[in-house]
Amino acid sequence: MSSSLLAGVSKQKLSLRVSQTSVRYAGRQESGADPKNDIIRRSLYPSNIRNRPSPVGTWRPDVGRRLQRAIPSVQAHETIERAWFLHQRHIRRARAAELQRKFESVRGAMETLRHVAPDLYVEANKEEDPRARSSAETELLKKLKGPEKKAVEARIRGLFPRELRMPTDTPPKNGWIYDFSPVVRPSP
Amino acid sequence: MLSRNVVSTCRHRSRACLHAPSRSLASVADAPSSSAPSSDPSTSKAVLHAAVILNRSPIITRTPTLFEKAYYAYQSRIRRALFNPFPTEFYFKTGSLLEKKFAREEKVREREAFGGPWTLNREGPESEEIGMTSADQTESMGEEPMEPPASRVHESDRTGDVKSLDRMGERNLYLLIRGKDHTGKEVWRFPQGGLKEGEHLHQAALRDLTAECGENIDTWVVGKKPIAVHQASLSESAKKSLGGEELYTFFLKAHILAGQVRPNGKNVTDFAWLTKEEIEPRVDKAYWASVKDILSDF
Repeated sequence: MSSSLLAGVSKQKLSLRVSQTSVRYAGRQESGADPKNDIIRRSLYPSNIRNRPSPVGTWRPDVGRRLQRAIPSVQAHETIERAWFLHQRHIRRARAAELQRKFESVRGAMETLRHVAPDLYVEANKEEDPRARSSAETELLKKLKGPEKKAVEARIRGLFPRELRMPTDTPPKNGWIYDFSPVVRPSP
Repeated sequence: MLSRNVVSTCRHRSRACLHAPSRSLASVADAPSSSAPSSDPSTSKAVLHAAVILNRSPIITRTPTLFEKAYYAYQSRIRRALFNPFPTEFYFKTGSLLEKKFAREEKVREREAFGGPWTLNREGPESEEIGMTSADQTESMGEEPMEPPASRVHESDRTGDVKSLDRMGERNLYLLIRGKDHTGKEVWRFPQGGLKEGEHLHQAALRDLTAECGENIDTWVVGKKPIAVHQASLSESAKKSLGGEELYTFFLKAHILAGQVRPNGKNVTDFAWLTKEEIEPRVDKAYWASVKDILSDF
């Protein structure tokens, strides 16, 4: 691949350094000044003379060799990628199928409710407005103070509770909280 | 007829379908209720029960399969090979302790990704030879050593304690209760109870849950809509005792956030937190058929 590129270039009698800016950022500056400023300058304006790979540069002379060390072969790499995509597709299909089953179950239940108890069906279909507060709630909130008030205010209808925890790599140090005392919350 | 049209329109829509019917069916829902009382007196009178599927969500992330682990290792090796050189002079002061620590760790990582010059398949002790253990390192830096994190496998996994809420951290656990059903037989079922006058489904569900499982649980009912329905076949005596021809049990989903179940001794004797496969053998076949689709596979 690189040989064909070189072949093309030599025919047109151009030098290898085709794209070359007129401004050259210097490498180290042995001026005896604060090395920190020099380091920052080199990080912000990296040397654009292409003789070695640099942290922000795009010129890597040994990419081929490094890739050869990393992957077994092109065919093996493509097979691995295809196996991965297939695996992902299985997972995706299974997840979608499970969601579809759950949704069908909800739909069936709502249909049955509609036939059996239409008034309850209407109630079940009403949207929750997180901003709405019933009169019972406002009355209760006037009486409460401190952590009890916070506990009642925290649970907003129509929104997820804060305590619904994201799964982590390791469980909490103290495990599940088994001691819980009931909180009086007015029903919606 | 009408219900079939509803079904076909719903099928073309997405999940938003459940919100849409409240608008599209508003005119339809009014018509039957205005034309006749709640249920046709000549046909069956339905008795409704509200039940709760109390779910403990996963606490820890899933363990990657062998294939996934191998793929991730393969991909990080490729990334490592193609990375530009790291600007150590910018991040570390030349010759500092931190730079030496970084160099040591980098060597370990490089060896892990590519294998050292003469290694075949070395593991743990190798990294200790190359560098000090992390505890020594942090103490030499003057930092406090960190406590190791809790294990992913809990004690209750080993003992098989089904009452524990720490068991099976990766899976979804559901609350199953041993109590009397409508016939008076002792069965494993989900917590349920009847509806009072003027009560909504989700209010009844919460009330029945606290009545059967105690108040020392912090629960959150997900929404007002039922997720499944189970129609029990009734014997004549059961029909008389319930006061209706048909029994519908509507299930609502809730999450447990803290606390533990304390069964009241009266109609609930025992409880268990089980995964989907563990629930199947304990529960009646007809009941399972109504409920299996709403439980998460993992």
